Amino acid sequence: MTSVLDRVKFDKIKSTISTIPFVSIVNRIEQGKLFVSGNIEIYFEELENPLPFDFLITQEYPLKTYSTESITFFNSDLIQYNHVMQNGNICIHTAHSEDLENKIWIDFNALKVWIVKYYINKEKDQKYEHLVVKDSTVNGNKYSFTFTSTDKVFREGEIGFVKLSLLHDGHYKKENIHNFYVKYFETFPNLKKKCSWNEFYFEQPTDREGIYLFRESAPAKYNRFAFTTWAELDLPQDILTMLHDFQKQCFKEDFGKVIPFFIGYKINSTEIHWQIALMEVGKFPIKGIPEKKDGKKTGKWHTTIDDVPINWGISKNASYEYFFGRGRFCDVLTDAKILIIGVGAVGSMIATTLTRTGCRFIDFIDHDIKEPENVCRSEYRFSKGINNKIFELAGSLYEISPFVTSHHVNNDYFEKYIKSFYTDKNFQAYIKTDLDKYDIIFDCSTDNDLMYVLNKLLLRSKLINISLTNHANELVCAFYPNIYNFVNNQFSNVLENDVNDMYEPTGCWSPTFKASYNDIALLVQIALKQINRIFSGEKAANNFIIQENNSSFKIIEY
Amino acid sequence: MAVNKREHLDNVLETHRMKHIDNLVQKFKEKRGEIKEALEENYTSNIYSPLNSGSFGKHTAINIKFDLDIVVPFKRYSFGTIEEMYNAVYDFLYEKYDKTDLADVRKQKVSIGVLFKADEDGDLISIDIVPGREISENSYLESRDLNIYFNKDTWGFNKGTYTKTNIQSQIETIKSKEDERKIIRLLKIWKNTNSEPYKSFLLELFTLKAFDKSTITGNLWEKLEGVLIYIKDNVIREEFTLKDPGNTSNDLMKNLTSWERQNLSNKMQFIIDRITENSENIKTYFPINKKFDTTESYELKGSSGLSVPKDDQRFG
Repeated sequence: MTSVLDRVKFDKIKSTISTIPFVSIVNRIEQGKLFVSGNIEIYFEELENPLPFDFLITQEYPLKTYSTESITFFNSDLIQYNHVMQNGNICIHTAHSEDLENKIWIDFNALKVWIVKYYINKEKDQKYEHLVVKDSTVNGNKYSFTFTSTDKVFREGEIGFVKLSLLHDGHYKKENIHNFYVKYFETFPNLKKKCSWNEFYFEQPTDREGIYLFRESAPAKYNRFAFTTWAELDLPQDILTMLHDFQKQCFKEDFGKVIPFFIGYKINSTEIHWQIALMEVGKFPIKGIPEKKDGKKTGKWHTTIDDVPINWGISKNASYEYFFGRGRFCDVLTDAKILIIGVGAVGSMIATTLTRTGCRFIDFIDHDIKEPENVCRSEYRFSKGINNKIFELAGSLYEISPFVTSHHVNNDYFEKYIKSFYTDKNFQAYIKTDLDKYDIIFDCSTDNDLMYVLNKLLLRSKLINISLTNHANELVCAFYPNIYNFVNNQFSNVLENDVNDMYEPTGCWSPTFKASYNDIALLVQIALKQINRIFSGEKAANNFIIQENNSSFKIIEY
Repeated sequence: MAVNKREHLDNVLETHRMKHIDNLVQKFKEKRGEIKEALEENYTSNIYSPLNSGSFGKHTAINIKFDLDIVVPFKRYSFGTIEEMYNAVYDFLYEKYDKTDLADVRKQKVSIGVLFKADEDGDLISIDIVPGREISENSYLESRDLNIYFNKDTWGFNKGTYTKTNIQSQIETIKSKEDERKIIRLLKIWKNTNSEPYKSFLLELFTLKAFDKSTITGNLWEKLEGVLIYIKDNVIREEFTLKDPGNTSNDLMKNLTSWERQNLSNKMQFIIDRITENSENIKTYFPINKKFDTTESYELKGSSGLSVPKDDQRFG
């Protein structure tokens, strides 16, 4: 039974649609149990003939649901045009409006814009649109495969093996998912085309092997809808033979195991993408046909395709530019070789932030051991127990980014050698060579002696000193060579650094400053934003203090 | 307690005075005299009497950074070209000091640097020699104009070119201007202790023009503040010029990009703002030379000697 509310809504939809000038004919509008459906024709000056569309409006209208519109327009004759789904659904994303009439106007106008742009003008989008693929489940499991661009090109018809490592098993809505990443593609004879992960990922053991075929064009209808059956792929004989041999080799041992079949293709002049079809050992989509000569069997067999549906896996291109596509620091920072001295609260936050913002080379040094009480305000985890900070942090960085490379520097280097011999001219040259391997050095050690010594050296590296006052009331950031005097004057004379109210842990007498993760992270993030502006050339490299002032944070430049 | 800015600046100047390093200065002067004599002896009638220049000549030297330069005025036809003159002086100094292992001699932007090996006290003496050639025959004694050679791309000039300058006129411009010289010294202390990239000569000309074109009065801090405001306001004005008194066609502002001009203006604003907000900041920009500070006590600051955190304790 239709409720009064629905009837009012239905009448309003009907009357509004009928007032839209480019809706030339309303063939039908019906109130169903769950939907309002109908058929209309659109006509305006630029169109040669009216275009018919079915439409469907769900209960949520005018609100969106699962981030998609609750109105859908269909015309299955238009699927060769851009932004039309396989069922003829025109893909539109429109502005929010809680007003039903207004929303109808917005949505019908969006349909008109689509008609002009893609139907009449046949525009092609600059950016690559992924194929429309229905991800499949094999025996209740989904499979994902993440890859990057490689250091070598692929040629039409190239075949070979794909070496994969398991990233993690997880859950994908209500199903299980096995997440793999491609280490490299191996073609004959023994030529590796490596994905651009860091050495950590590249050196992981191979957990699975797949097969690949590279082609010039996408395995799709209209270059948009991924093929649904194996016959549509029109595989060459050499790959069919390869599939046969592969299955034969692992038939007993790996029966039922899912083997990915990678199909690569160019998406523009420089980039390629891979779609991955899933095959179960024992059920590869091939069959043997007896070879005949003059109508008689020769005793030989010929492998052909078995035209069964394709189970597509999930494929993701996680190349550096996509991985950090949503936001990263400027190139000067991301390309820099960075050293962080001291990875306590501030240093560890700098390390993880630099990693998340695309930096690729981050070494660090710290002699300290991480203990449970460090966890609450730094980038360490309880689950890792008591551990050398540098080891745990390196692990965390690798977990965040497959593009970061991180090494630790010998503790004695700073604590003993540099401090002991920094006045020696010959040793100075030696230190300089060592430190100048880094483009940027963050000194977060809070070690005044080290600050003094580093400031005395003649460095090419850009040295940045960062430290906090108690309660994280201020963050002090200074740039080489104007560090030592500036920082000293700030802490000794300018800033009010209350060192009487310290946190004193039970059991040992090593008071430390009071501040929460939130207090520290806020300051560190603002400082890094300023540093990014400096390295991108937007701002001059002036020393600065960050201070909370009436609930807002102020960068005070010197 | 707020810092008395005038007293602090007086002390800054006092602790940066050259008298504190009199012995070292004496050594510099001796070496300078020695080089002058050698040049006069070698070039005899081809040169006029060499003159002292650099900050020492202008009485704007500070004891953390000072130059004892010698300008060597050559006669118009002593060499075919100005480049030949520059190279000949280099060759002469190289033969005399570098080959004999007494010093390292190197070609610099417009000068030739002679860096003597460390003496028995470990002191390193360096003297810069600037060869210049009079503009036309016998014109030097009257005009004091000289052409100097650029050995490197610098200050808007290309390597291999030359420009007119008049060191005497630069020295004369600053003579008997005690107030201006104090501010110049303070700005040089700021430049050197804060590693600022601006040329001392630029700061010097800014100061002279500020005193000339603006009302700079009051105590030392107020005068300094007046000059800082003058620089802040004028450095970003497109039509603003700073002409070399030794060559009025040489406008130093032309060598500053708009980015550099804006940064210098910002810097001046930051200095004024920070010191106004908290007078302790004056110590960041204009620090006392602790080596010669007689006002500092030896009492440990912020600590009773126990291993409690001191108030200059940093955290992170």
